[in-house]
Amino acid sequence: MSSNCTSAAPVSASKTKTKKKHFIGQKVKLFRASEPILSVLMWGVNHTVNELSNVPVPVMLMPDDFKAYSKIKVDNHLFNKENLPSRFKFKEYCPMVFRNLRERFCIDDQDYQNSLTRSAPLNSDSQGRFGNRFLSSYDHRFVIKTVSSEDIAEMHNILKKYHQFIVECHGNTLLPQFLGMYRLTVDGVETYMVVTRNVFSHRLTVHRKYDLKGSTVSREASDKEKAKELPTFKDNDFLNEGHKLQIGDDNKKYFLEKLKRDVEVSVETFCLTDSVVLCLLSEALSCFLCVRVCQFLATLKIMDYSLLVGIHDVERAEQEEMDVDAVGEEEEYENDGMGGGVLTGSFGTPPDSPGNPLNCGGFFGPGEFDPSVDVYAIKSHDSAVKKEVYFMAIIDILTHYDAKKKAAHAAKTVKHGAGAEISTVNPEQYSKRFYEFMSNILS
Amino acid sequence: MASAASIAASIASKTKTKKKHFVAQKVKLFRASDPLLSVVMWGVNHSINELSHVQIPIMLMPDDFKAYSKIKVDNHLFNKENMPSHFKFKEYCPLVFRNLRERFGIDDQDFLNSLTRSAPLNSEAQGRSGARFHTSYDKRYVIKTISSEDVAEMHNILKKYHQFIVECHGNTLLPQFLGMYRLTVDGDETYMIVTRNVFSHRLSVYKKYDLKGSTVAREASDKEKQPPQPEDVPPRPKSGNVQQRLQTLRIATRFYCAMKHAKELPTYKDNDFINDGQKIHIDGENKKMFLEKLRKDVEFLAQLKLMDYSLLVGIHDVERAEQEEVESEDNEAEEEGESDGGGIGTPPDSPSNTLDSNKPLSPGEFDPTIDVYAIKSNETAPRKEVYFMAVIDILQHYDAKKKAAHAAKTVKHGAGAEISTVNPEQYSKRFYDFITTILS
Repeated sequence: MSSNCTSAAPVSASKTKTKKKHFIGQKVKLFRASEPILSVLMWGVNHTVNELSNVPVPVMLMPDDFKAYSKIKVDNHLFNKENLPSRFKFKEYCPMVFRNLRERFCIDDQDYQNSLTRSAPLNSDSQGRFGNRFLSSYDHRFVIKTVSSEDIAEMHNILKKYHQFIVECHGNTLLPQFLGMYRLTVDGVETYMVVTRNVFSHRLTVHRKYDLKGSTVSREASDKEKAKELPTFKDNDFLNEGHKLQIGDDNKKYFLEKLKRDVEVSVETFCLTDSVVLCLLSEALSCFLCVRVCQFLATLKIMDYSLLVGIHDVERAEQEEMDVDAVGEEEEYENDGMGGGVLTGSFGTPPDSPGNPLNCGGFFGPGEFDPSVDVYAIKSHDSAVKKEVYFMAIIDILTHYDAKKKAAHAAKTVKHGAGAEISTVNPEQYSKRFYEFMSNILS
Repeated sequence: MASAASIAASIASKTKTKKKHFVAQKVKLFRASDPLLSVVMWGVNHSINELSHVQIPIMLMPDDFKAYSKIKVDNHLFNKENMPSHFKFKEYCPLVFRNLRERFGIDDQDFLNSLTRSAPLNSEAQGRSGARFHTSYDKRYVIKTISSEDVAEMHNILKKYHQFIVECHGNTLLPQFLGMYRLTVDGDETYMIVTRNVFSHRLSVYKKYDLKGSTVAREASDKEKQPPQPEDVPPRPKSGNVQQRLQTLRIATRFYCAMKHAKELPTYKDNDFINDGQKIHIDGENKKMFLEKLRKDVEFLAQLKLMDYSLLVGIHDVERAEQEEVESEDNEAEEEGESDGGGIGTPPDSPSNTLDSNKPLSPGEFDPTIDVYAIKSNETAPRKEVYFMAVIDILQHYDAKKKAAHAAKTVKHGAGAEISTVNPEQYSKRFYDFITTILS
């Protein structure tokens, strides 16, 4: 969304507060952060969104937009040294495409910019594959993941089809919502980052988290993981607990019927459908989209993705909030980013960060949420054992079968010699197994 | 920046009354005829925005006078319509110039808007020949292309200049330096400095003088006086009767103005001034204040061993301006509506600054906080006029000049030849004396 020109100048714009959508809390954005790379990220997002506000929104995207980038190199001398490094580079990939995606995901560029720049992004102790670093915006709406250059290449490969898919499903998907892709260079070191919408709520705490693939090998949280404040449990943990996601019999039945049909259809068209993800949603329409999601992933030969599941326990949250109130305001609140701070409770925002105006919208009762902000949230059905809110979406969709196979082949060849059998499943098998596992965990 | 939502300014301009111009552009496209201008617009926009994230210090530090910010842009298949894909923008001493803008009563947002809402316009030279000039679209600021030596000289004097501005509270006839930049487009580096326009952003100047107080070669050249189209040339004033020459010149200027809507404005010099019998009719109080400022300024310049500066004088004739406006309204009724707004009014396709017309100003009236150099003629003046006078071209250092002249003379006359240039002290005295005499 193009912004009005007051957005570029918070200092004096705040003196005349006419015709403004947002009440700008901070007058001066200093990009202050604990690390130079975070300052550069803030500066970069601020800059690129401002740049885009000076580029008219095109009627439609062109092929060149998917190959485009903007690069900027800053070299300051004895200037602006307090919060930013003197030298850094910032590159944004396909700016027009991501602006369009943000629009399709109903994210206003100004809000996006504010979330990432008003206060420094927070470290999250969640770890993705291979120790990728996670950050969340200070308001917990967006997740910033550090990725590899191979991931960037894969993103470029799938971007056109991904965009097309988003167009067709009107942004209504459980795939990651890619909102921006950047390369930062600080002290000569390059860091690649992808920004996505947070799967979890920006408000409601997640008390339990699972990363599910439907696989059975090595799918258990390590002891080290379990020691964390919000460990990421896995398939075996889930099964061992006998946990179920209680979204209701009717929905599940409806889902399974659809699923069967989708699977048959998919076999005929040689595209394995993986309607599992969307079955967890209560809307019937989603099942139709589900076919396409899976076609999307399987057709693109993507695998190794997970279903990220977060569970918000309504009663427990209410209890926690009462404890917080009792303790008072002098305590230091600590957020781990991904799941929302355990101690901030359901309604609070970190005390030293200006609240996003969208936060103060309506008053939400326990376990309630704004579905336009917490887009992945599903309430447990009325007769569920515990009153819960589930957050579920697919994550980690950038592993391509061919790349993986090549790497595994090379590794196996080194270990076992050429000609050794590769035991990795292929994307279709992966999706089928994924689906079957997910359908079993619903009730 | 209180701005009501509005439609394109082109619609607003059809009503040629003293109207309030609303902010038409929400998106700044930095569209310009020349990539260099787009880069200036982009660069100033970027620089002011960057500064809005830097806390204003209580006072400037020595390092601030050596600082710069540099940015290099490399776009690929992005934002190609109005900007070049590769360019660099460097701002010298950003904090110093921000402080200077504040001391000169210029708000950073207004400065930004003046330079970015619409492309700067080409302008005829105001001072030393050869330099390329632009004015901001709203004519408040002048952008001069300078040399790298000028940039070096600016750095040399900047601290003392700043100190002087602090002491005189921004109340000076010296150029108001507001920003200094280096642009790199297509591998070519261009240095630019932004100063406040000596002339008015609204009132037209029909006659312009560049005065040094010297007598040698201080006459507008034929090229300066004559327009490009030979067929439009009136007979060149022959030497002889002063009144005749004066009259011919007046006719010539009026003719050119009528034909070209005051675009071509030759720069007359000392001898022309004297020969024209030109006078500056200002009352005693104004004269006193003016000369007091000038004295301090000139002292400052002499101390820094600067010379070869001029007093730029522009004369606005109130009656003539009213007449021109009537004429141009008539013309517009017939023509396509092309008016460069030499007098009152702004270019039709550029939105003007909202601060511009808060209340309508009558003929010959001005806002002294914007047109800071304007002085009204006194009551006994033969014609109702407004004068704009300030010092320009202050970056010529005596040592540099002497060295160059010495080298030239050595080439021509051999080592040991005498240099006949005056020194800065002498220059300043002669300058001051001359200016004193021209004020009645």
